[in-house]
This record gives sequence, C-alpha cells and structure tokens, in this order.
Amino acid sequence: MAGGIHVEGLAKRFGARTAVEGLSFDVAPGEVFGLLGPNGAGKTTTVRMLTGLLRPSEGRAEVCGVALPLTDDGSALRKRVGLLTEQPGLYERLTARENLSFFMRLHELDEKPAFALANRYLERFGLQGREDEPVGGFSKGMRQKLAIVRTLVHTPDVIFLDEPTSGLDPQSARVVRDAVAELAAEGRTLVLCSHNLAEVERLCTRVAVIKNRLRSVASLVDLRKAGSALEIRVEGDAAAWLPALAKLPFAPASQNEGSLIKVMLTVDSQAPDVVHALVSAGARVHSVVRAARPLEEAYLELVREDENESADE
Amino acid sequence: MNSFHLARALAVLWKDFLELKKNRGLLYSMAALPIVIVVMPIGVVYAYVSRPDDSNLRVMAQYYDNTVKGQDAVHFLVEKVLNDWFVIYLVMPIFIPILISSHAVAGEKEKRTLEPLLASPVTPLELVVGKSLASLVPSVTICVVAFILLCIGVDVIAAPLGQGLILPNGMWLFGVLVIAPLFAFFGNGVAVLISARVGDARTAQQMSGLLVLPLIGLAAGQFGGWLKSGVAYYAAIGAFVLVLDIAILLAARRLFDRERLMSRWG
Repeated sequence: MAGGIHVEGLAKRFGARTAVEGLSFDVAPGEVFGLLGPNGAGKTTTVRMLTGLLRPSEGRAEVCGVALPLTDDGSALRKRVGLLTEQPGLYERLTARENLSFFMRLHELDEKPAFALANRYLERFGLQGREDEPVGGFSKGMRQKLAIVRTLVHTPDVIFLDEPTSGLDPQSARVVRDAVAELAAEGRTLVLCSHNLAEVERLCTRVAVIKNRLRSVASLVDLRKAGSALEIRVEGDAAAWLPALAKLPFAPASQNEGSLIKVMLTVDSQAPDVVHALVSAGARVHSVVRAARPLEEAYLELVREDENESADE
Repeated sequence: MNSFHLARALAVLWKDFLELKKNRGLLYSMAALPIVIVVMPIGVVYAYVSRPDDSNLRVMAQYYDNTVKGQDAVHFLVEKVLNDWFVIYLVMPIFIPILISSHAVAGEKEKRTLEPLLASPVTPLELVVGKSLASLVPSVTICVVAFILLCIGVDVIAAPLGQGLILPNGMWLFGVLVIAPLFAFFGNGVAVLISARVGDARTAQQMSGLLVLPLIGLAAGQFGGWLKSGVAYYAAIGAFVLVLDIAILLAARRLFDRERLMSRWG
C-alpha cells in the first residue's frame, strides 16, 4: 500500500488514560476518508500517530509504505505526509512567502519549482498579491488558506486535514473542497477530520466514527442505510403531528421542515405504525417515501450507542 | 536511519533570525543591557581619571590593598573596577540568550506553531541546534561588540594616565572569548529546558532570569573586598559553568524526542 494507509489494532495510552484503542481500517490511494467523532474522541491522537508525532502504545500501521511505530527519525514518512492542524500555526511576524519558504527549506525543496506550485494554490485561494504581507494582518480565513498551501507545498502522497474549511466563507470553503476533490483525483490519499457532516457527505466516500475506540468504518451509503428513514409529506405544518409520533412505543427520532417529516426507523417494520399514528391523529398524508438516514442521524446514533453502553456498565 | 541535516537546522536558524529581526520589542530589550554594561564602567573610569589628585581615591584603593601608594591609586582603582566589572558583564551572555530562547522555544508552543513544525522532516535535534544557534550567535556577537566599545571607551578616557592601552587585557580577552560563550550556552540551555516545562515565553524568561542572581552576589562580594577577581578566579567560575553546561547537554538529550516535545509542547 505505497500511497495508502493500513491501520491494525492501533491504541494510544497516556499513563493510565486510554486516548484511543482498537483502531483498524484501510484507506486506499485516491480516497477521501472521513474521521468523525466528538471532541476528545481521539481523532487528533490518531492523526498524530499516523504522522509519526506520537508513538502507538499498541498495534501497527503503514502510511505511504512506512511502518509504524517508526524505527527511525521518521523523516522519510514526513516527507510524504502533509498535515493541516486544527490551528493554522503560522508565524505572524513573517510574510506568507517567508512562512512557505521556511517549510520548503525544512523539506529541502528546490524553492523555484516549489514556489511555482505554491503560487498556483495562492492564486486559486485568492491570496495572490498578498505574499509579501505579514501573516499577522491576515484574516482567519486567509490564514487557513495559507496553512493549506503550506500543507501541500511538498506534494505529499497522504494528506491529513483537520477542519480544513474552518473559518472560511462559503465561497472559499467551496474552493477548498474542489481542491480536495482534485487532490484525490490525482491519486493522493486524504483523511478529513471534521465536525462539518455536510462537508464530509460531499467529500468522503467512507468514514470511521471513533469515540475513544472504533465505532464503525463504513461507506457513507452503508452507514446511512443501517436502519432507514421515511419522508412523509403531510398537509399543512408538519410540526403539529410530531407529538403523535412521540407517543409511539418506539418513539422514533424525527425532523420536520415545512410540510415534510423525516422519521428515523430502527427496523423497517415500524413504517406502518408511523403512518398509522399520523393518520389516526388526523394528519392528511400526501406521500410516504423510503429515504436514507442523514449522516448526522447515523453519526449521533453511533455516538449515543457508546454513551448507552457506558451507562449500562 | 537517523541523520542530522545541517540544512534543516539552518532553516530553523534562518526563520528564528527573521522573527528576531522583526520583533522590535525584543531588539530594544537586547540593546538596553549592553548599553548599560558598557557605559557604566566608562563613567566610573572617567570619574577616577578626571580627579587623579583626590585623596579619597588613595583611601579607597588602600581599603582593597594597603600597599597601594598614593600616585598609583587611580591606576589601581581603574584596574580594580574593570576586573570586578567583568562579573557584571557576564550578565549579558546569560541574559540575552534567555530573552531570545524563551521567545523562540516557548513562543512556538504559545503560538501553536510547534505541531506543523514537528510534522515536517526536521528532527528534534536539528530543531534544538537551529534554535540554540539563533540564540547563541547574536548573544556572543553582542558581547564581542560591547567589549570592543568598552575597550575604546576606557582607553580614550584613561589616555591621560599615560599607561598605554588598559583594555583589552589578558583577563578580559580570556573572559570574552572563553567564559562568555560558556555562560551564553548555559543561559540558552536553561531557557530551553525551562521553556519546555512552562506555558509561555514570559514565565520562561522570569524563571530563567533568576540565573543572574548568583552573579550579582559575586559582584557584591568583589565590591565589598571579600572576593578578589582575576584570571584564576574567573577561570574557576568558567570551569563550574562548563560542568553545568555538560549537565544541561545531558538533560537536553531527553528533549530530543518528538513524542516528548509533542505531548509536552504541542
């Protein structure tokens, strides 16, 4: 797996505290893989292990063909990996050009072709003409975009992006998402850590949900299929009929927007009961369509399952 | 394979120099100390030389050495103040690296720049070497320049004594070229180690700054006449600091570990 990632039973402990354990998944070259989980779930620790910043306490992994735990100083791995951290981490007194030049020097790159590549990204992200300004005067979005350019400037095979569109306006976020899709099309492996589930749905083909341990690894299609949903269009404001659904013995989760109710089912056989409850309460049902669950619902269910298990213990 | 790439250490040095050049507050702090350390002894020498016949000078000289004759008092006191001043001069090679290193090391932690840095191919050893050079090179340069200015100032002021060049002398040359770099290494090492344990540059500076207190104590002992400065005296202090430098190197080896840097600094 030269440009991909293979993870097998990875765990990290800090003293008695287990940050994350039991991680196993594969990411193929050219894939955009989502790493989801609530705050403190171990996403950052996982990324730090896979970039060689932290040594796994257990298990093994392979990133770009380099085995982890590392047996050397890890320079070979870091030359092939790009990491966009949650905070842009730029030197504010230095200009954008000096920030990029510093990382080019650390990667021992020939600066002329490296800047040719960087300039293409700067132009694309709307930073052209601002290269010689100190980063301290940049807006949050400009800093984020510059940090993305820094992450890509050594043409890494595997790229870890932690909240890449954080702080960006919708237009800039779209430019970044397009760039991510293009990088994947070039055969780069991308791992996206994000709380923005809409973005994950747009970019990722598969995701891992972790909360201190692996909850699920699945394609987005499979994840949303686990259980299903009904989209029910009723006459008038759908909110009026939600109390009727709440009275059902299985109390399904539901969302409403205008005259549309989306009801999450745990088993398909609940569908007739849902429709019956609405009709019995007096709702005039115009249509009922089977639908995939939103990613948010599937994600929250996985995270809640973990909480329920903890409560049972 | 673990290998040291000088180019990467020099990249860190280049970046830290750039940041230093653009940090006016830090540059002013760095310039203030040498000005005081150069101007004050020149002022004292001027005070002695401008009143060579003052009988109080003989009394002062005889307080330190009762064999001093009246006509030699001024020369004795000029030499005495310059020999004693060297211990105050040593505050400079210790304090300037503390100013720079605290910003360069704890600053990375404070500004959240350490994680992207450690995710690059630079090794912790290259990082520490680059940062130490960025601290030591300007510190030693400032010390040498300050010494040259001190020599010029003292020799111009003391010319009426007709004793030829008073500075540089053997003790000062030995001190500036050997002892001062040892102190600079010590100040830098302590600032790096403390920066690794505290959360911000200001705390690192305050804690590291306590290092100058023993020097102030030595100065008090010398000015009070209890300690007699000279080449052997400063060589003994230098040997002691050399031992401390070696201890710092051994302690810093524990820092040359990415995981420790990441979990403590990141």
